[in-house]
Amino acid sequence: MLTYVLRTLLRMAITLFLIVTLVFFATRLSGNPVDFVLGEGITKEDRALLIAYYGLDSSIGTQYWRYLSSVFSGEFGLSFLERRPVSEIVLERAWPSLKLLLSAVCFTLIVSIPLGILAAIYRTSIIGSVVMVIAFLGYAVPSFIIGILLVLIFAYTLNWLPVIGDGTALHFIMPTLAISGTLVAAITRFTRNAMLDVLSQDYMRTARAKGLPEWVVILKHGLRNASITLLSVVGLQIASLAAAGSVVVESIFAWPGIGDLLVRSAILRDYPVLQFGVLSVAVAVIVINAVVDIAYAFADPRIRLAKG
Amino acid sequence: MTDATHNLSSPPNTGTRTYRLPIWSDANWIVRIALLIGLILIVTALAAPWVAPFDPNAQSLISRLRPPIGFERYKEGFYFGTDELGRDIFSRCIYGLRLTFALALAGAVIGLLIGGTLGLMAGIIGGVFEEVIMGLVDAQIAIPFTLIALLILAVMGSSLDVMILVLGVYGWEQYTRIVRGEVKKLIQMPFVEAARAAGATPLRIAVRHILPNVVSPIVVQFTLNFSNIVILESTLSFLGLGVQPPTATLGSMVGIGRDYLPTAPWIVLAPAMVILLLTFAVQILGDWLRDKADVRLRSR
Amino acid sequence: MTKLLATTALASLMATSAFATELTVGAANVSSYLDPGRDHSNVGSQFYYNAFDTLIAKNHDTTDTEWQPGLATEWKLVEPTIMELKLREGVKFHNGADMTADDVVFSLNRMYQADFPPYQVRARDRLENFAKAEKVDDLTVRIHAKRPEPLWETLLNLQQVMIIPEAYTKSLAGDPDKLEHDDFEAFSLKPVGTGPYKVAEFVPGETVVWERFDDFWGEKAPLDKVTVRHMPETASRITALKTGEADIVTNIAPDQLQLIENDPNMKAAGSATALFHVMIMNVNHPKLKDARIRQALSLAIDRDTLNEALWGGKAVVPSTHTLAEFGELYQPELTTFEYNPEKARELLKEAGYDGFEITYDTAPGYYTNGLLAAQAIMEMWAEVGIKGKVNVQDKWSGNSPDMMTRNWSNPMYFADPFGSFGVMWAPNGPSESEGRFNTDEDYAKSWEQFRFNGDVELRRAAYAELMERIKQDPPVLPLYRPYESWAMKTNVNWAPKPGHIPYVLDFRAGSISFN
Repeated sequence: MLTYVLRTLLRMAITLFLIVTLVFFATRLSGNPVDFVLGEGITKEDRALLIAYYGLDSSIGTQYWRYLSSVFSGEFGLSFLERRPVSEIVLERAWPSLKLLLSAVCFTLIVSIPLGILAAIYRTSIIGSVVMVIAFLGYAVPSFIIGILLVLIFAYTLNWLPVIGDGTALHFIMPTLAISGTLVAAITRFTRNAMLDVLSQDYMRTARAKGLPEWVVILKHGLRNASITLLSVVGLQIASLAAAGSVVVESIFAWPGIGDLLVRSAILRDYPVLQFGVLSVAVAVIVINAVVDIAYAFADPRIRLAKG
Repeated sequence: MTDATHNLSSPPNTGTRTYRLPIWSDANWIVRIALLIGLILIVTALAAPWVAPFDPNAQSLISRLRPPIGFERYKEGFYFGTDELGRDIFSRCIYGLRLTFALALAGAVIGLLIGGTLGLMAGIIGGVFEEVIMGLVDAQIAIPFTLIALLILAVMGSSLDVMILVLGVYGWEQYTRIVRGEVKKLIQMPFVEAARAAGATPLRIAVRHILPNVVSPIVVQFTLNFSNIVILESTLSFLGLGVQPPTATLGSMVGIGRDYLPTAPWIVLAPAMVILLLTFAVQILGDWLRDKADVRLRSR
Repeated sequence: MTKLLATTALASLMATSAFATELTVGAANVSSYLDPGRDHSNVGSQFYYNAFDTLIAKNHDTTDTEWQPGLATEWKLVEPTIMELKLREGVKFHNGADMTADDVVFSLNRMYQADFPPYQVRARDRLENFAKAEKVDDLTVRIHAKRPEPLWETLLNLQQVMIIPEAYTKSLAGDPDKLEHDDFEAFSLKPVGTGPYKVAEFVPGETVVWERFDDFWGEKAPLDKVTVRHMPETASRITALKTGEADIVTNIAPDQLQLIENDPNMKAAGSATALFHVMIMNVNHPKLKDARIRQALSLAIDRDTLNEALWGGKAVVPSTHTLAEFGELYQPELTTFEYNPEKARELLKEAGYDGFEITYDTAPGYYTNGLLAAQAIMEMWAEVGIKGKVNVQDKWSGNSPDMMTRNWSNPMYFADPFGSFGVMWAPNGPSESEGRFNTDEDYAKSWEQFRFNGDVELRRAAYAELMERIKQDPPVLPLYRPYESWAMKTNVNWAPKPGHIPYVLDFRAGSISFN
């Protein structure tokens, strides 16, 4: 077990290092920030001035070394655009994103598990099909379309919900719905499959014979067996949701989150923000994954022993 | 981590089954519909030059934003209406479908080849090599793919080739994980030892023993990836990073047309419907194929 | 829902009476920094007028040039190159400090004698002629130019020379008595000026909050508080008007205007901005060296059709690089640019155009209708036989030798041809320095005349020469003055004032009222 944990940690370290290096070089190779924000309509001399001012004139090796040392000393520099510490900027944005993510996960679990169970029990009737169609739509329609449609219906036409920012609880409703599409589809489907598995097992017959009510058996056995895998599925999905689906939703709802920040920094080549931001997201995702992996290994003896 | 064997397309498991060739009558009505839709879409995409009534890039500045058939100001022949430059949406959907197909297929196949090979190698070679590969896998998972796509497009420009590369890089890590997991499992098994003792090359072992076991999860992953790529492409267009205009993919029509949702919704709704149909067909058929492969496996 | 309705009802009730004077503006773009000296972007220009003043002010209710006392109450030329200004008494900065000559000298010299790269870059193209500002006494300053300056008032009315406090700026970072670059960086996050509103809150890229400054030297601000929020998505911005989350929103494209007009709760206000969307061409690109090809690229574009189709006819298509705001220097009689596809075909044949691809770079969303116009232009080129290709990217390719053509904007930084064509197309200016434009002795001579001559007629003649030059060897084609619109609730009466530089969000006295 200990070896497994250590190996995981080693893998985490390698991953982080790879990420940091790849992002660094990719951004440096793709153009100078001066050409993206500050550069239009200035003379060559002035462009050189700005480049020197932002420390972009030293060789790529020097810059890389400087960057690595700053990472280890905990100082991540100032944003090119905003001239304040990148840690401040990124953390400011991380919190709203986290809130939205949590909201999406809670919503998904509350909605998808019952839906999945329903779809499994009523799989031959229309109810089952309807549930799966809804789940499918959540997956097949891009999240920004869901988002804009929600805005047009619930805010523009009905004026029921606010559209901008994360001020009140009401503000969370539409963004959560928009961002949860794929997650709901995945978890509903997963739950349904897990339930179907359970329903066909022999111990169901035994339990029924014992006189236990159907739903007790379903919940007790089905959910228990499925929960471990559910954990890792949810964990993975959260990871990919962490900033991928969120950038478009953040744009639509003017949600001050990290997805939008990362994309904007990438587009405008604001290296310090991009590097720190990616690092933060990566650390978060890796930690989640590692925790899930370890929990999974702990729970499933086969894996624990195999990897031991 | 395995996904359960049941899905919309197959009847519940009644124990062991005998293996039969997948034929039309074997499939339930949903699968038949999916097959039909899939067929129509493929044929339409392949026959685009003959099926599309207009050149998809032909602009008409005086006929911008015309609604589809049945509405006021409908322009004769432009069934789905015109877009913000007066181009025929119906034709653009057809050609867009074609390009989306091509891109998604290319991307999914590339991802499969890269991921599968790396997974195989990681499982067989093991050691530091395996750690590095898995480290890369984790790296890929940890960085939001939108960002990776962005960086690649930024460094290499946004031509169609780079798009294919980007889409190819999407999802490789899933295949690597699956294949490696399978390899690690099988390598422990006695028959592999036996095969090796008998002098079978690693390649032969890979093909004869490992491949059949990974086909099922890979097929599922492939169909998942295919659909995801279509959506991903749309998101990239939303961010201004998709295929270069005037070229249309279903995703780019949806991404770029979103500003017109309140005023000219057909620009988005038409391609979105096609995406829906495509995703539906791919998912159902993927499930069904996986089911068939599983059955095959179980009956050996 | 009823609660929301009630709140909205109450809010609108309050809006109709005199005391509820809070406004929310939904902006497509919000600046990442607020320092009038280092900024000349179209995004930034939205934010400075409410919080800062210049020495010499202008009447913005008209396009005519009418100078008014600002932070200076009178001024006179004491020598051909020295202007003396008397400062207004009793002016206070937002932090309570009194404005003195020291602050004025500080603000001006940080630009005139810039050693902070972001300032140097801004000063180079329009403040080159100024040597220094010096204090004569607490309420008098003198500004020294290097040579006689025909545009004194204009250049003292610039956003870049708005007045900021010296002591406050110095105190922001490091040693409070020394001026460091970090002070300037810090200032751009916590700006302080003399205007009718103070910047109460600034979250870069997200929010700007103005609150009425009670000690303002002039007419009090009509609003208690204005909150500008970043709302990047068009559909969301318009929806925010409906839900009441915004009272005014910016950047409404012409295609959305119908929606606004049809809604009884919203209305739009707009103007043909004092700015040109232009197409620039790289005269030094090996394939485009022949001027005839570039002339053809220009002649093939039917700008009037673009106007009709994309702008509903509301944009203004110029015949030469000139704007009505130039007053006496407005020269619409010059025909430098026109639509003539026949001539384009002829020129292409003469020049031996063999069908090579010509790329047109554009950013995806920066200019309203920019991408649409780019695609339409490709079609227009195709009609005369030019093979064009749009290349969408965020990078500014103007300084790349591979760039062939691309879109850009030439704003009117101040109401004089020097402030528009002049800033961008000067000898050794940005365009030439980026390697895509060439000037020579003749050009430089006409330029001298145009820039420094005090006689209006001679300046006009010189400008005409310059225009003729760029007709013969084209580096640029102004497409049109885009019609930019703001949408607002029906009870809000606000519109962009004609005398401003583009995109200013003016909320000073006389700019806004409510029904």
